[in-house]
Amino acid sequence: MNPTLRNTWTVTLHELTDSIRSRRAIVLLILYALNAVVATLIFVKVLHEMENQFEKAVGVAQAEKAGGTTTAMWKNRNFRELISHLVGNKETAEKLLETPPLALFFGWLSFFYTPLLVMLMSASRISEEVWSGSVRFMMFRTSRLSWCVGKYAGQALQLLVALLLSGLAAWITGWCRMAFFDPGANAAAIAVFSLKAWIYGIAFLGLAMGVSQTIASPNVATAVGFVVMILFSVVSMLAEWVSRQPWQEILNALDLLVPGGHKMDLWLPDAMHAGVATVFLLALGAAYMLAGYVRFSRRNL
Amino acid sequence: MSAALELKGVVKTYGSRRALDGLDLAVPRGTIFGLVGSNGAGKTTALAVTVGLLRRDAGSVSLFGEGPFDPLRHAGRVTLLPQDSRLPLHARAEDLLWFYGRLQGLGEGALRESIDEVLEWVHLNDRRRSPVRTLSHGMMRRLTIAQAFLGRPELVLLDEPMSGLDPREASRIRAILKRRHDAQTVVISSHNLHELETLCDGAAFIEAGRLVRQDSMDTLTRRSRRVTFFLEPAGQPLPMEELTKALPDATWEQALDGAELTVKFFDETARAAEVNARVLEVLLRHGIGVLEIRRGSALESEYFSATDSHASSVTPLPPAGSATP
Repeated sequence: MNPTLRNTWTVTLHELTDSIRSRRAIVLLILYALNAVVATLIFVKVLHEMENQFEKAVGVAQAEKAGGTTTAMWKNRNFRELISHLVGNKETAEKLLETPPLALFFGWLSFFYTPLLVMLMSASRISEEVWSGSVRFMMFRTSRLSWCVGKYAGQALQLLVALLLSGLAAWITGWCRMAFFDPGANAAAIAVFSLKAWIYGIAFLGLAMGVSQTIASPNVATAVGFVVMILFSVVSMLAEWVSRQPWQEILNALDLLVPGGHKMDLWLPDAMHAGVATVFLLALGAAYMLAGYVRFSRRNL
Repeated sequence: MSAALELKGVVKTYGSRRALDGLDLAVPRGTIFGLVGSNGAGKTTALAVTVGLLRRDAGSVSLFGEGPFDPLRHAGRVTLLPQDSRLPLHARAEDLLWFYGRLQGLGEGALRESIDEVLEWVHLNDRRRSPVRTLSHGMMRRLTIAQAFLGRPELVLLDEPMSGLDPREASRIRAILKRRHDAQTVVISSHNLHELETLCDGAAFIEAGRLVRQDSMDTLTRRSRRVTFFLEPAGQPLPMEELTKALPDATWEQALDGAELTVKFFDETARAAEVNARVLEVLLRHGIGVLEIRRGSALESEYFSATDSHASSVTPLPPAGSATP
């Protein structure tokens, strides 16, 4: 195997085992799974309350478990037409309505918390090794690029495992607490959203690793990572709100350079939109990471 | 044969401060070579520049005559023991060495053998499965020494390797260094000049980022041209006429307190053992006690003298026949 690829793979595997040894991965997995369980429980409770109120209003018996009324409504022709009208695209609306409500909630939830947890766990990964000096034991054994890419890939694999685990946690919670729970449909939809959240998270992971390569202090790197992430969110929000020219065009162009600008395309069920968004998000992650590497490749260690 | 390491006019600045100010250095292959200098002289910077941890501003670095450090070309051939770097605390000693060895491109069999060897060297075989955080400071230091010798690299750069080691372990490491593989070049940066003197084949004095002097240890300490006798009681009159007669071409120096007599001989063919025999015979015949005989001068005094930071405490003796001080 090519030495560069071999070393990248060696660093990737080490990053995974190192995270497990340092209990970092355990903390990450617990955070993701706990988050999914708690949020799903809240979702089920809120859904149950809403259903009970609806059932009371229409004068039918109140169900003991959540999900029955929603499932019935989800299958109702008039409701589906209403959703088609709201979405503006019948095919997209149909695809969304094929998705179980719990999976839709899980998708929203994982798109919300993945960037936060990525920044919390990964923005210090490189800077802490520079800070402690442990990087100096490696930089004469492999290239800086192999090491950085290996760390990035290792973190990405951890993130995938964490998201799949949180999806499993949400699925189990839903299965235990919801009526008319379709295990197969929910599992498939949650898995798809886990993968989409992972792709979305990869872009933020690139940002976190890019920041980590430029700042020596782990705490400062994490703080800067959060600040940049918030700035990116502001760009996406402004791109949606501002309609005055030429700001709208400028913000729309900037929005293409931040992950938030591709979030909705990734959400869409059709392969074309999701595919383009995937390519953009992976490219953005790599670009952020490499932008940090430009500094890292020249810095004194 | 090209040098294992050659630095030419290397400049490294930190802001307005020049850590290396045109440093020249050539380390012959297969030698143990010492770097001597005061704090901030540039020794650590020179080692870090050599393996590319620090980017040089000017000058050239060449390893084995193949140009500057390139991880693809030199990984596994050049290793470093950095001075103030911490190993990952949660990693197990053996796992860490395994990871480093894999990065060096060592195959499983060779790596397993090498890990066993270096852990045996540093007396950590029984702690190989221990997380680094459970090791004492000295043990961590030994582990960092072990990683530097993993896979028998051709050039090993050690920055203050003995700091933090207990005397027994330091002695053991010194013995290992002396027995090292012949093809291996070891560069040691240290403030322990006695250690360098006993260990190294050559040394360089570095001050303010520049080379002050570089030579073989024999030449630096004048081992083949000087013998010092430590006398007891100090300050008694010396039989200079007889001594001069015994060694006509030699010159003599006595320390101000009279406790040391140094013989400098310029005849290249003269052997220190012969000089020793002649002088000792005269001194003992006159009832002058000799506590210790040292070949050459201490590297420390040569370093002080070369860097002008230490005044010499010796005065030349007058010619034979005059009164002794």
